[in-house]
Amino acid sequence: MSNHTTADRHPGDEGEAGHLPWAGQAYSVKRFGVTITNCDSEPVQTPGCIQGHGALLVLNRSDLCVAQASENSDALLGRAVAALLGQPVSLVLGAQEEASLRRLLGRDDCERNPRYLCTLPAHDSVPALDVSVHTVDGVVVVEFEATGRSQPRPDPASWDPIGRVQHSVARLQKADTLQALGDIATAEIRSLTGLDRVMVYRFHADGHGEIVAENRRDDLAPWLGMHYPAQDIPEPAREIFRQSWIRPLREVGAPLAELVPLAHPDTGRPLTMTHCALRGPSLMHTEYLQNMGVTAGLTLAIRRGDQLWGLITGHHYSGAHDMSFEMRAACELLAVVVSLQHRAAQEREELVYRLQLDNVLQQLVTQAAHEGGLSALLDGPPTLLDAMSAGGAALLHRDRWTRAGAVPPEAELQALGAWLANRPELIDVERPIFVTDALAREYPPAAAWAGCGGGLMAIALSRTLGDMVLWFRPEALQSVRWSGNPDDKPRVLGPHGMRLTPRRSFELFVDSVRGRSLPWKSVEVDAALRFRAVLMELVVSRAAQLASLNTDLARSNDDLDAFAYVASHDLKEPLRGIYKYAHQMATDAAERNDPDRERLAGLLRLALRMDSLLDSLLHFSRVGRVALLLEPVDVNEVVAEAIEMVDGRRRDKPAEIVVPVRLPVVQADRVRLREVFVNLLSNALKYNDRPITQVEIGCTVAGPQAPAGDGSPPGVTFFVRDNGIGIQPRHVDQVFKMFKRLHGRDEFGGGTGAGLTIVRKLVERHGGDVWFESTFGQGSTFFFTIPGVPAAKSNAA
Amino acid sequence: MLHDAVTHVVLVEDSDEDADTAEEALRRTLLPARMQRVISGEACLALLTGVPGLLPSLIVMDLGTPGLDGRDALREIRRDQRLSGVTVVVTSTSANPRDVDFCYQAGVNAYHVKPVNHLEHLDAMTAMFEYWLRRVELPMPQPCPRAVGQ
Repeated sequence: MSNHTTADRHPGDEGEAGHLPWAGQAYSVKRFGVTITNCDSEPVQTPGCIQGHGALLVLNRSDLCVAQASENSDALLGRAVAALLGQPVSLVLGAQEEASLRRLLGRDDCERNPRYLCTLPAHDSVPALDVSVHTVDGVVVVEFEATGRSQPRPDPASWDPIGRVQHSVARLQKADTLQALGDIATAEIRSLTGLDRVMVYRFHADGHGEIVAENRRDDLAPWLGMHYPAQDIPEPAREIFRQSWIRPLREVGAPLAELVPLAHPDTGRPLTMTHCALRGPSLMHTEYLQNMGVTAGLTLAIRRGDQLWGLITGHHYSGAHDMSFEMRAACELLAVVVSLQHRAAQEREELVYRLQLDNVLQQLVTQAAHEGGLSALLDGPPTLLDAMSAGGAALLHRDRWTRAGAVPPEAELQALGAWLANRPELIDVERPIFVTDALAREYPPAAAWAGCGGGLMAIALSRTLGDMVLWFRPEALQSVRWSGNPDDKPRVLGPHGMRLTPRRSFELFVDSVRGRSLPWKSVEVDAALRFRAVLMELVVSRAAQLASLNTDLARSNDDLDAFAYVASHDLKEPLRGIYKYAHQMATDAAERNDPDRERLAGLLRLALRMDSLLDSLLHFSRVGRVALLLEPVDVNEVVAEAIEMVDGRRRDKPAEIVVPVRLPVVQADRVRLREVFVNLLSNALKYNDRPITQVEIGCTVAGPQAPAGDGSPPGVTFFVRDNGIGIQPRHVDQVFKMFKRLHGRDEFGGGTGAGLTIVRKLVERHGGDVWFESTFGQGSTFFFTIPGVPAAKSNAA
Repeated sequence: MLHDAVTHVVLVEDSDEDADTAEEALRRTLLPARMQRVISGEACLALLTGVPGLLPSLIVMDLGTPGLDGRDALREIRRDQRLSGVTVVVTSTSANPRDVDFCYQAGVNAYHVKPVNHLEHLDAMTAMFEYWLRRVELPMPQPCPRAVGQ
């Protein structure tokens, strides 16, 4: 049509007229339907055709004369199209019903809202016809349907539309969850219509659909829980349901009747059939239904405000299914009620879910508070995984990852954590959370994580420490039942070759959802945010608690050291007195050759031993208290000094002390580090019964030259290895204990047993660790780490 | 002016045994010395400021005496200009570098650690007296502050 311009473009007639096969003329499913290659360009609201079981007249508003008529008028209305066009509608309705029609139109409540007008009695071969009327775009649409009245009336006792609807509405009002609402709606509509299967089909945020409620004939396979690609219900079809509540389809694949003429003779516009019960379905839809074996259908809208939330879809598998005007009206009413109840039910359901989430999260927080660590979040039960519908959860706390469920490997987590740490979302003032249902699109490495690389929700627990909680959600492609999945059932190609069919759309769809998880619900995101807030409080209060504990501990450590120091001093003075008297008595006894002199000699020896114990105690307490003087220390020099010091002490036996490698420079207290080596060396020399004592001093390679940030902790591990007597396995726990001697007092040159305790204290004060490996009878190796590496050598110091 | 033939030593020591060892050590030097023992820092200060006569040539002070601690007595002595010339030697059980540092900072002339071994202790004390009373020239003893004032 030459006057079909952009200005009067119709919904569904998406402005690509130049490229479409029907360019320049009104569309007709019958003529052009098979040329469609893309559902989104099909003008489904102006199909130009109606379902052939009914007839349709388009009247001019002003004179109620017929402007367009369906091509089957002859068969149904008893008059050929040519005999109707330009004639008053009374020709079909009779004068009385034309007057009723005028009254109806005068009330003006039938704009885009079909009203029942009358039922034309059967005559000749024509069945009784229900007549309904609505207005749209300035014309009057009269639909004639051979339904309802032509059927034997159901028993009035069981078929009372008003009563049924009242009953259904009462049941729907009691639903307190979306699930219950869906279950009731499908049951009611199925029992109302007698369809074989009725489903609630929910649109997700990404447009794909899921069957969330279903009521079916017992012998049918369940479709509940199936997901359908967004393309299965193309946008033009969705648009219809934003405007109209209902779309009946009496018989899938039944002949269509085209309007004559296709466009309105005065305006040149095709008829908008959005509200027509008789609207002809697109061939695509017909094929789609045929592929599923559907023979008749009914679709109702579930709306939230002006949003299309989902559909109630009815399928019939056993031939045509008649639905009278009353039945349709009842269904439409139920769809409206479901839509109205929907928000309330969803809010109640979300409240329940929210309470559930909060309950678990609260338990987790309590658990963490109790057990004094965030790791409790994954120790469970419950764990972070119970709190959220997710495939896996991970916690980064104090540089350590704790994992549960399907989570990428640790190294990948590390990298992801580092990437997340720089995301602005995590430090957003309002909503500090990172949420995605397609992680790989923002973080490509996630594409390789089988099973957990779909969606991610992350919260940071502290900015400085980098603590965070992550929830992973698997790729939806793998985690849900997709209808049309080639693995699920055989693929059915449409009869039109390469033309896109709904089933082929699945492959397109797979590409569009690959790497995508089901979206995170806002109630989940909110719960994660609340969880974060509570955890943060916990972390902060724990930090305060720890700080005060540390202060207490430091104070009591100081007290203990001071006590040990003072006690040692105060013990020494009387000891000196005891020794003195014993000495005097021993001297006298020796002169008299007194038999007591041996006992007195023993007393003197014990006093001296106690003296050396007190010295060790004093020294140990000083090691704990004196501040370290940290500076770059060349360990080669320190070891040389230590060797010199111990060598001087032991000349009675040959010893080989070797330092085969060049030792590094570390950040340490020179004097204390030397003391560590002196202690370890003197032990190595002391506890040895071989003819030649061999000692090796060295360090392991992850030394100061190792690049910082490669995962290995900065610092150096030194060792002192001997070929000595070794340590028996049963003694391993005793080695570092204060005054714990593993040998007789005078074996191996005696000693107080404080050396290794002091070594440990000194190493720990440097922030390092000390441990040993030993084979009894063959030798021991003592290791210790010095974490401090001078700044000049590494930026990790 | 010639000083007394007998050298005056003050011993600040609360332990009888240690005091006994000190006396024995002094005897062993065969020096013409007279040792007066007090058991606290307070008593020491009272002795130095309140009794007419000459100040002692040497004070041997244990650091950990009861009451006014040896440290405080030490501070008092070094603060008072009239007493500051007296030689003070500290004997202590403590080998703690902090104690040692403190004493030298406070101006003691020497710091000795008392060993538990009696013979070592006796030898150390004898050597100490030998050194300060025989080998070293000490300043002339000054009159007691109060005696000067009167």
